[in-house]
Amino acid sequence: MKVTVVKNVLAANDRIAAENRALFDKNGVYVINLMSSPGAGKTTLVEKTILALQNRYRIAVIEGDIQDTYDADRIAALNIPVVQINTGGACHIDGNMIRESLPAFDLALIDLLICENVGNLVCPAEFKIGENAKVMILSAPEGADKPAKYPLIFQESSVMVINKIDLFPYVDFDLAKAKRDALSINKELQIFEVSCKTGAGLDDWIKWLTDRIDDFKKPRV
Amino acid sequence: MHELYLVESVLNIVQDYAVKQEFKKVNSIVLSFGRLSCIDPKSLQFAFEVQAKETPAENAALQFKILPAVIHCFSCGRDLELDIYEGTCPRCKGEEVMLVGGTEELQIIEMDVD
Ligand SMILES: Nc1nc2c(ncn2[C@@H]2O[C@H](COP(=O)(O)OP(=O)(O)OP(=O)(O)O)[C@@H](O)[C@H]2O)c(=O)[nH]1
Ligand SMILES: [Mg+2]
Ligand SMILES: [Zn+2]
Ligand SMILES: [Zn+2]
Repeated sequence: MKVTVVKNVLAANDRIAAENRALFDKNGVYVINLMSSPGAGKTTLVEKTILALQNRYRIAVIEGDIQDTYDADRIAALNIPVVQINTGGACHIDGNMIRESLPAFDLALIDLLICENVGNLVCPAEFKIGENAKVMILSAPEGADKPAKYPLIFQESSVMVINKIDLFPYVDFDLAKAKRDALSINKELQIFEVSCKTGAGLDDWIKWLTDRIDDFKKPRV
Repeated sequence: MHELYLVESVLNIVQDYAVKQEFKKVNSIVLSFGRLSCIDPKSLQFAFEVQAKETPAENAALQFKILPAVIHCFSCGRDLELDIYEGTCPRCKGEEVMLVGGTEELQIIEMDVD
């Protein structure tokens, strides 16, 4: 007997993500899902973003490391509430992991929640968590072929941060190709070229984020 | 690696249907996904064989419908199917292209059950 199904395999995760989203909306929490390869600069960008915005917004962080707590410790050092998710070896965070970590926060007291995903360009793009925006980082040493090789994450993201531009003199990174290929996959993609080391370009990223949060928090009539 | 999680979700869906529609055994499952979605059929098959043990889907045959990668090229105006996406048009080498297919997520299309 044939049974017609036609169902997204990750529909159950999508449902949990939508429930998370409803909870975030109720509490006015703007949520970012931050993704990249290992070492592209996620935690560093989180630190810089906190330093730029902590007087303006109440910020909290979820760290999705596979095991250690190095990244969570770096955030805690900035006096920001942080929860380390135990992904149990999983290569991504999913809607349920976020849901289970939420009781550790008072959502009513948070304006911006940044979720640092596991370093990986494949699975994090597939699993929604209830975010307002997916933000991905491509760092110069990784090479400009990544958009063409891993199109899904570029398609799903609202923002691509090209990080480590201070290393341009030392690595062969074809900036024009990276941007062209990423836009051929997602023409709405916002692109920022930054160095978390020197601080170059970070203002534009901060301005984009501030505009999104303020727009999100604006009372609707 | 994500194939493990995808298979787990496939098996959960199969289990739901097995309860609702009261079948005991799945003979085959048709799955579809885009060629560029970084899903490896071999890993999916392997993960399935391991995880389907002692479920109604044990020994079920997996069939994959892999949707092609498709670009639209603004230089030559064509829509082309490709095996590998390199950001350029393989026909005219144009760089003004748009990816229009190939990243579709994993879906269960149908099952054959007893
Ligand atoms: N030169 C340079 N180094 C950077 C920059 N941003 C981050 N780094 C360095 O890159 C390394 C990795 O940065 P992290 O922020 O830990 O990267 P991550 O993406 O959080 O890494 P995982 O969580 O392990 O996946 C660190 O040594 C950073 O100091 C940059 O703009 N320029
Ligand atoms: Mg990190
Ligand atoms: Zn994975
Ligand atoms: Zn062409």
